[in-house]
Parts: sequence; structure tokens; C-alpha cells
Amino acid sequence: MGKLKHPGPGFLPFGLACLLIALALALILSQWKMGNAKAPFWPEGTWRRPLLGVGVFILYAFLIEYAGFLITTFIFLVLWLWVIEKINWFRIMAVSVAVTAVLYLIFGYFLEVPLPAGFLA
Amino acid sequence: MGEILNIFQGLADGFGIAFSLTNLTFALIGAVLGTIVGILPGLGPSATISLLLPLSFKIGSPVTSIIMMAGIFYGAMYGGSTTSILVNIPGEAASVVTCIDGYQMALKGRAGPALGMAAIGSFVAGTIGVLGLTFVAPPLAEFALKFGPPEYFSLTLLGLVMATLLGGDSIIKGLIMVVLGLLLGSVGLDPISGAIRFTWGFHMLQEGIDFVTLAMGMFGIGEIFYNLEKVLKTELVTRKISHLWPSLKDWMDCKWPIVRGSFIGFLIGILPGGGAVISSLVSYAVEKRVAKNPEEFGKGAIQGVAGPESANNAAASASFIPLLTLGIPGNAAIAMIFAALLIQGVTPGPFLITEKPDVFWGVVASMYIGNVMLLILNLPMVGLWVQLLRVPYSILAPIIILFCCVGVFSVRNSVFDIWVMGIFGVIGYIFRKVGLEPGPLILAFVLGPILERSIRQALLMSAGSPSIFLTRPISGALMTALILFIGFQIFMNRRKRGQREKI
Amino acid sequence: MKKIVVVAVLMCLLTLPVLAGAQEKYPSKPIEVVVPFAAGGSTDVLARLVGKFAPKYFDKPLVVVNKPGGGGITGTEGVVRSKPDGYSLFLGYGSGHDLVTPHFQKMPYDTFNDLIPVARLSVHSIVMIIRGDAPYKNMKEFVEWGKKKDQVTASVSTKAGSVDITFQAVGKATGMKIVSIPFRGGAESVTAIVGGQTDCGGNHPSEVISHIKAKRLIPIAVALENRDPAIPEVPTFKELGYNIVAVGSVKGVAAPKGTPPEVVRYLAERFKKVCDDPEFIKAMKDIGQPVMYQGSQEFGQYLKAGFEQYGKLIKEFNIKLE
Repeated sequence: MGKLKHPGPGFLPFGLACLLIALALALILSQWKMGNAKAPFWPEGTWRRPLLGVGVFILYAFLIEYAGFLITTFIFLVLWLWVIEKINWFRIMAVSVAVTAVLYLIFGYFLEVPLPAGFLA
Repeated sequence: MGEILNIFQGLADGFGIAFSLTNLTFALIGAVLGTIVGILPGLGPSATISLLLPLSFKIGSPVTSIIMMAGIFYGAMYGGSTTSILVNIPGEAASVVTCIDGYQMALKGRAGPALGMAAIGSFVAGTIGVLGLTFVAPPLAEFALKFGPPEYFSLTLLGLVMATLLGGDSIIKGLIMVVLGLLLGSVGLDPISGAIRFTWGFHMLQEGIDFVTLAMGMFGIGEIFYNLEKVLKTELVTRKISHLWPSLKDWMDCKWPIVRGSFIGFLIGILPGGGAVISSLVSYAVEKRVAKNPEEFGKGAIQGVAGPESANNAAASASFIPLLTLGIPGNAAIAMIFAALLIQGVTPGPFLITEKPDVFWGVVASMYIGNVMLLILNLPMVGLWVQLLRVPYSILAPIIILFCCVGVFSVRNSVFDIWVMGIFGVIGYIFRKVGLEPGPLILAFVLGPILERSIRQALLMSAGSPSIFLTRPISGALMTALILFIGFQIFMNRRKRGQREKI
Repeated sequence: MKKIVVVAVLMCLLTLPVLAGAQEKYPSKPIEVVVPFAAGGSTDVLARLVGKFAPKYFDKPLVVVNKPGGGGITGTEGVVRSKPDGYSLFLGYGSGHDLVTPHFQKMPYDTFNDLIPVARLSVHSIVMIIRGDAPYKNMKEFVEWGKKKDQVTASVSTKAGSVDITFQAVGKATGMKIVSIPFRGGAESVTAIVGGQTDCGGNHPSEVISHIKAKRLIPIAVALENRDPAIPEVPTFKELGYNIVAVGSVKGVAAPKGTPPEVVRYLAERFKKVCDDPEFIKAMKDIGQPVMYQGSQEFGQYLKAGFEQYGKLIKEFNIKLE
């Protein structure tokens, strides 16, 4: 960790960790004193949609290296719009195709970002 | 007297050069490119400039090249605030503060005035910045040289303390976020000792967490996951989108914040490294302190947009000063311009004004013109951007997520970064539920490494004696300001609490 | 049975065009030159300057890409692991992370066996500089002044880099207690010494030449075998009586192991042509970088000698990493 004369790499993280613990305790104490009403963290099943969102996102991050950008992005949009937002099929298709195309044009073509090509490489 | 005349002569020559068709065209190209770059996540002005370096060789003339690159640089500043206001995603660190009130304004249907005021503030600030560059550059640059590690430490500490103020109602929550931000900032290779921290064996983390990844995750993705809790079939902005232009009251409210922001940004922006971020923080704190309606801050106070936006634009102009007068680049984008000049045979430094006055004055003049161009470009676009908010959120949300994913990917061509962003998204979501503001965290993340580096360098310089922070005049002044500031805050809090109890 | 034979023959025939494509003349597309340091630094400027003159002599453009990090190791490792087809080169071969770092820590690749030296372009020596308005004007006065102080601060570009190590040796040789203050790269460390934040600084000539011309900084010694052609008026440490000789930071081009020899030859030839171009030489002189070309063989030998030289320096002055 080093001495004050010669601070080492562990100096800051250690100090910060101590500070964090102290602050967390202070926060807990102050909340406890105020006696907050027991409000539910996730009222009425509101955790469903966020969880679905996280799920679709994980799927995207996972698939993109195998299936490539175009396919995965398209699937992402279809899944999201269908499962989470529940809009009509026509819209889902239109938006998915359009957005995938535009994103590819801007980033893949115009900016020449080497987007993952998956098994189509 | 002769000095002033020389300056006007030089400026006149400069305008002559800047008004050539070639130079005007390239200034425009730079400005447009810069704005686009500022809006798109991932790509930053320094990366863009490095991509265009070969083009600058073909252009041949160093004046024209630097005019274009300068255009990109402050164009990016204009563009960065757009995403901050519209979707709460900061384009770069200097735009984080704009998110706070800017986004709230957008939610209340006031995206138009927010964007408009940001553009106008940026224009005024840019102009003041260029004026400063014209008249007071050399002595100020000398002053900037006096800033060494102890001064940077004190200044950054001041900025960090101001960042805790952004933590909403609770100082403790603000502090927790700052500490977390500092810890996140220490992930990766430690430049001073070479030790690797907090990477848990992930090779990709060796360079630390990228700002874009953290910002997109905490601000962008986190916000979307949070909004998923409510079934928002309608637009993001539930209130009717009112006027596109700032109201008369807005103008009155903003005129001083813009001026103050410009000066704050200009002075702090001269300092190499980190100037724009700190100046936006200081401007926000100052405006909140002097405003007649400080409770509005955090809920959509237009001064909270005008001040910081002016500050970061003035800082952008000011960052050219060390480059042009001393030959010292202050940040990555300026370093690229520095390299470009060197290669074209122009050595930025104290001799630039005398040896190659056409380059110096041509650039300065073109910066005036560039600012005007950007204003003309950005104002009509406000209408366009506001229309974007009309898109149903159900469709907008996944598009934003994809934008963030691709943006983050384009930084290092790594899918790993997408995962990291996702994790921060979940963390950001939970933070929002608990009432912890991501703003102070990300600011601490950016300022933390500077803070740590400076304190270790300073202690090396003083052989371990912490008194260096007080004995050096500038550092001592900053520390005093800091202590006074904290004291004042505590005093005001006591008074508020006392008043509340009386009721 | 016949069908299988036909299919097999067809498959072989189909692969022929692919093989033919692979034998295309090199280079058939732009060549990526990786600079494992930040943009704007001396290595980066060198690379871009070479890139500017390349179209005259190379059949395809050279594209400079910055991949900073890990003191240069990250970007270099990227090239080491890339395909050895000649389209991914490393410029900066012979810098601190190649010649100094391996003496202190284990490297993720073998600096001498995983890379092929293509050509040396320049040598960036290490020059010790002081402020123009300091109370000491040359090495002798500086040492006298420095020996009386508790510590003498020196701004360096990277911790444990070539400059840092050299300065530690200087400290031991002169009897001054030199404390290195690391910054993030050459540009930041120059800012520090110009601003007087430290007592002296160590940089490459190209980083400080404009300041020397402006008389803000005075170079008092250079750590090279002979005087650096970019700053010929500066005496070497050897001349001043201190046996501190190093190769500074060598700037050459390298290709990953396994790159075909014809490709290496092509590159070495073309780089030589660039180095012989009078405009290139002039441009390099203007920015304080001497053009010092060496072909693959000699470059490889020069590097090994430089590496050993650093080893000797470290041993002789007992330099340790803290």
C-alpha cells in the first residue's frame, strides 16, 4: 500500500473502501431514524418487464458474436417489440427491418465499424 | 497601444484568410462532422480527427486543415449536449451536467427551449472564448503553466465536492456515489506503479472501464430498464410539447448564467487536461448558489443547462490557447491537431504568432466564423430533434438500447464492453429505484484518476509532506475556497433544518 | 463411387481460385501500422509523417492506428498475435517497453522472437533538460546544486520507462537523490518541466526542440554513445564524465513472427526509400527527429545490443523498481 511518502497502488482503493463502509452505515442509520414506511420494492409485478428487458439484452450480447450483427439486431427488435411492448405484427416487422438497416448503414457502412459478422463471415 | 493595433491587424488578416471559399467550406465540413460525432455515441472528436489526418495532407495547407479540425472539435461540444437533453445520455464527460436539468426539461415538454438555450449559450461562450484567445492568450497561458500536481489535486477535489451536490437531496447519497465512482475509476492499470487493480483476470479491463461504457450503461440502459416498470404506451413526453423557442423569462433567467459560465469555462479550460468537465461542474454549482429558485435545480431549471453548456464550450475554445501559444496540447483531440500541424511543418509554440501569423490568425478568425455556422446549423435542428421525442417510447426504447450497444462496441470492437455496459445498466436501474443519482458517480469516475495521479505526484514532489497543498499559492487558494465552500454548505444546511423545525 | 470422385475433383478445382487469390501480389490492400502510444506523441508523429510520404513509394497506403495502453505493451501484443501476412505492423520497435521493461517483468510475448525487425527509422535519444531560468546553467552546476538538496525531482514520461531508468542511473552516478515524477506521456512531462514543477526533466529531442529554440528549456546532457545529430551542441553524459550510455528509445518497424521474408524485404526496401527522400529528411529535421535508417539485419543486431546495454546500466547502477 505504500507509506504517505510513497503512496502505493493500494492506497486509494483501501481508503475509499473504508469511506464507503462508513457512509453506507451512516445512510442506513439516517433512514432507520426517519422510519421509512415499508414500501414494496417491486409493487404489483412490475419486475416482469424489466426482467424481460434484461433477458432480451443478455440474449443479444450473447448471440451477436455467433449470428452476426444483422441477424441478432433483427431478432432483438422483434423479440423486444413482441414480448415486451406487445404491438401489432406489421409494425414489429416494419420497425425491425428499418432500424436494423439504418443502424447498419450508419455504423457498418458509413463509419466502417467492423460489426460482428458471426457465421456469415 | 501598439500591441492592440497589432492584434487588430492580425485579426483583419486572419479574417481575410478565413473568408476564402476553401476555408469556409472546410470550416463547415468540420462543424457538421463535429456535431454528428458529438451526437453519435462512441466516436469522439479525437478519433475523428485522427481518421481525417491523411485527408489533411491532401489538403496541403496547414491553415485549412486546422480550421477543419477545430470545427470538428467544438462542433462535438455542440452535439454532445443534444443527446444529454433528449435521452439523458451524455455524449462526453463535459455534457454529464447538462443531463441533469436538460433531460428533466425534455420530460416536461421543454426540450425545445433546452436545446435552443444550449446552442445559444454555446455560441456566446465560444465567441467569448475566441475573444479571450485573441487578446489575453499569452499571459493566461503562462498562468496555466503554474498549475502543477498540487494545484490539479486541489482543483479536482473542489470539483468532486461540487459533484456531491448533484446527488439530489441527500449529501450522504451523493458522497456514496462519488466514492463508488472513484473506485470504478481505479479499475485497471495504475500508471504510476504499474500494478493492475480490480480486473479479476479480465484482460479487457486492464485499460480500465471506458467512459462510454459506463455512461451508456448507467444513464441510457439503466433509464430504459427503469422505465420498463411502467407500461408507457405513449410518448416519453407526456406533457404537451410547448413552444420550440425559449420564452422571454428563459432569456432573462439565462443571460447571466451564460456570461458567468463562459468566464468560468474559459479560465478553467486553459488548464491542460480535464478543464471542460470541471468547469461545467463549477458553473452548475455557482448557478445553483446564486439562483433565485435553487429548488428548481435538478427538476428542469434552464439555468442548469445554460451555465454548464456555456462553460464547456468556452473551455473548448480555451484549450487551444496552450497549443497555439506554448505548443502544449491540453487533451487528446488537441494533441491530434498538434501532430497534424507538426507534420505539415508548423510548430505550435511561442513563435507561431511571429513566424506563421497567417496560421494563428486564420485559425482564430475561423473560430469566430465556426461558432456562427454552428449556431445556424443547430437552431433549426431543434425542431427536428423535438419531433424525435414524438416517437412512441415503446419503439424508441429498444432503438436507444441498440444505439448504445453499437456505440459501445465501436470504441474497442469488443463485445465484452457490451456485457459490461449491460451490467452497469442493471446497476443503474437499481440505483434509480433506491434514489441514488448516477451523475456524481460518473463525474467522480472521470475526475478520480486525475485526483489520484495528482496527489501521488504531489507527494513525490514534496517527499511525503502534505503541506505542499497549502504552501503553494494557487493550491492554497483553491483549498481555502474548498474549505469555505464546505463550511458555507454546512451553515446553510443547519439554517434550513432550523427553519424547518420552527415550522 | 464415381460421384464421390467427381465431387472431390470439383472441390479441388473450386479451391484453386482461393489459393490463387492468396498468392496475390503484396500489398493488395492498405497496411495497418500500429502505434502503441497515444496520438500526438513523438512515435505517433513519426508514423504519420512516414504515412504521409508512403504513397510515393508504397503500392498501397499505410494507415496509422493508435492503440495505447500498458506502456506500449497492449498495442504491440495485438500485432504479435495478428496474422503474419504483412498487413499489420508495429512502429516503435525498440521503445522502453521493448528494451527496458523485459529486464524487470515478465512479458506476455517474447520481444525478440515473436517479432521480426523490418527496419529502423530513427533513434530518439534521452536528453536531460532544465528550465531556462534555473539557478544552474549546465550539468556541472546542476550536480553541485543537486547534491545539496534532499531530493531532486525529474519529470519523466512513464514510470520505469527508458527515461526513468536512465535518470535513476544518473542519480547514482552523480550522487544526487533523483526522484522521478511520472506523467502520462512525453507531452505532459514537458509541460511539467516548462512550468517549473520539477527541477529537471528527461525527454526526447523532438518533444522539446521548440522549447529549446524559445530558450525556455536548456538541454544539458544526452545519454547516447555519440552526440545526437538533432541536437549536436549538447554533450553526452560520457563526455561529461558519467558512464551513462543508452540507446534511448529506438523507433523501428516490426512484423509478427512468421511474416514471409519477401514481404519483410519489400517493406525494408520501401522504408529505405522514404528515409532517403530529401523532403522527408527535412521534415524530420524540423521536428527534431533524426532519420537513421537501418535494414532488417543490422536493426535486429542494434536492438539486441541496446537491450544488453540497458541490462548493463541497470546492473552497474543497481537500479530497482520500487
